Amino acid sequence: MRDVKIALRNLTRQKKRTILLAAAIAFGIYIITMINGFTGSFIENVSENFSNMLAGHIFVEGVEKSETGRTLNIVRNDEELMLAIEETNTPWKYITKRSDLGGTLIFAGESMRQSITGANWEIEEYFKQRIILKEGTFEQMQEEKQGIILSEKVAEKLNVEIGDRLLVKCRTYTGQQNVGEFVLTAVLIDASMFGGTTAYANISYVNELLNLQPEEYMTLGIYLEDMDLIDQAAAALYANLQTKVSMFERQSDDDENPIIAMLEQQDEEEWEGLRFQLMTLNDIMKEVQQIVNVLNTAALIILLVLFGIIMVGVTNTFRMVLMERTKEIGTMRAVGMQRGIVRKLFLYEAFFISVIGVVSGLILAGLTMFILMQIYWGVETPAFMLMKNGYMTFILSPLQVLANFAIVSGLTLVAAFFPSNKAAKLQPADALRSTN
Amino acid sequence: MKRFLLILMILSVGTLSFAEPDFKLMLEEIDQLGSFDDTDFSCVYTFVSEKPGEETEVTQARMFRRDASGQFVMLILKPEYQKGQGYLKVDDNVWFYDPESRKFTHSSMKENVQNSEAKNSDMDGLSLSEDYDVNSWEQGKLGNFDVYILNLVSKNDEVSYPKIKLWVRTDRTIVLKEEDYSLSDRLMRTSYYPKYVQVGEKFVPSQILIVDNLQEGEKTQLTMKNPSTASLPDSVFSKAYIERVNN
Repeated sequence: MRDVKIALRNLTRQKKRTILLAAAIAFGIYIITMINGFTGSFIENVSENFSNMLAGHIFVEGVEKSETGRTLNIVRNDEELMLAIEETNTPWKYITKRSDLGGTLIFAGESMRQSITGANWEIEEYFKQRIILKEGTFEQMQEEKQGIILSEKVAEKLNVEIGDRLLVKCRTYTGQQNVGEFVLTAVLIDASMFGGTTAYANISYVNELLNLQPEEYMTLGIYLEDMDLIDQAAAALYANLQTKVSMFERQSDDDENPIIAMLEQQDEEEWEGLRFQLMTLNDIMKEVQQIVNVLNTAALIILLVLFGIIMVGVTNTFRMVLMERTKEIGTMRAVGMQRGIVRKLFLYEAFFISVIGVVSGLILAGLTMFILMQIYWGVETPAFMLMKNGYMTFILSPLQVLANFAIVSGLTLVAAFFPSNKAAKLQPADALRSTN
Repeated sequence: MKRFLLILMILSVGTLSFAEPDFKLMLEEIDQLGSFDDTDFSCVYTFVSEKPGEETEVTQARMFRRDASGQFVMLILKPEYQKGQGYLKVDDNVWFYDPESRKFTHSSMKENVQNSEAKNSDMDGLSLSEDYDVNSWEQGKLGNFDVYILNLVSKNDEVSYPKIKLWVRTDRTIVLKEEDYSLSDRLMRTSYYPKYVQVGEKFVPSQILIVDNLQEGEKTQLTMKNPSTASLPDSVFSKAYIERVNN
């Protein structure tokens, strides 16, 4: 305890130097904590935004091989799918049935390619809450069979206003050319990175353009009560569906992403008739997880580089401390202080500096995060997908904070070890004779 | 009796003049006219595309066809920034090669050639008799030519256009004009075939004008040059050839 007190007193003897060293450590911790906080929320926010955009957490698609060998995306009868959901007690909150078409919208000499999602607006309450309309209403959309919702930017580029009729050049689900007419019913604020390329329409009219029957569709989406249940619910549903219908295998020999594995089976394997594929948001997010891993690795490298520089500073500072206190060390050693205690004094000082630096860095990062979380960035920013309803969020894992603290303290102690060892090895007589 | 015979003669002549031609055979002849089943075929196509408010775009492509085995290779020669791109059709698979990424991706004969109104299938042999039935017909005139105007409907739901209207010369089986309709019965594009050239025993359109009926002012003119029926090496119809020709 006495040693700790002496170390703390020593720190206050050169306040400026202590503050500067602690500030350098705080800066490093601040940067790494901000990056960790950002990547922590990255996955969660992107997952949530993707699930809103794709209308679900688990997706089941029907894939049919035509007589000529073409692959057609269609769910003709979903009785078995619904039965499987019921039998597995899938904890669903909303179930969506959607059809999508890629088409070129044409209006007064302007044209633009769009992905048009057909949804049933009478039942898609959750999705309606996630779309922010600038003009028009969902009620109008339900009333107008040929209604379409365009993003603000697309409406501006095509120079269309509410009530205007647009032509759409598209293909049926079998690939035949088709032309339809949409009525602009509402304009939405671009709320995702796909806002500029995605439009929304009534599934009944989209099906008509795709030459699908009214009860047919392309993708069954399941919103779960809790995103954490995705893998568990998907596994149960997949196992149940395997007993009822022909499914594409989600597993592959080389541990590929299930989406890639299923696409390869479609392309490379001999099969016929109707098969189903089950995908989850986590399959899609695996690629995003890789981005997070890269960011975290980059953050760790930044941490190590920063602390490499800080270590040099710590070593130099403690060498100076050693020179300044040579006589003092000689005196202490002369009155009986053991070498180990001298070494400990130096290491305690280094440890306390790292603690002060880490705590300051964490407080500063916490404050910055708090301020950033209060700012509404809007939904028109390209970074919307990374945010939660237009607000930045940060999620820090306590384990990661502890790991950062351990790395910083460890490195500081290593940096201080050599000067402290030298101090400990000083002969009292030599130290007292020193002219420093 | 004389009167009866006269009426019978008039009726016979009338029946003869309005006798329905064998349209199945006519479609087969149209298919045969542009199909090179016994030889290979190669030529250079130039596409001049006009779009309102945009500069006229010129694309040039060298094409190789082996209709007997349904093979097709098209290499883009111009513009410079697209040079080296290529299409390869083997059986029902169509591949697009991008020299920048050096990768082949799946494509389709229904895709447009670069930024033009022409489709890959326009460059390939025809299969009207296989894919369409003549639903109705009438006689008419197109310019100075007497023509049969045929309304075709597709036999399957996988051809690009569910309905086609053809203007075929009555004196010889040559298509002068074609209108393509969507499933919703909307006119999507009109093609004119003003010039034909004889290549061996076949007649191939040497000039085609394709007008987009949905986007006013958009049209593409195709001109064919250097047609040849010289035999081509098997290696031409391969991915390796398209890759090699760019290096």
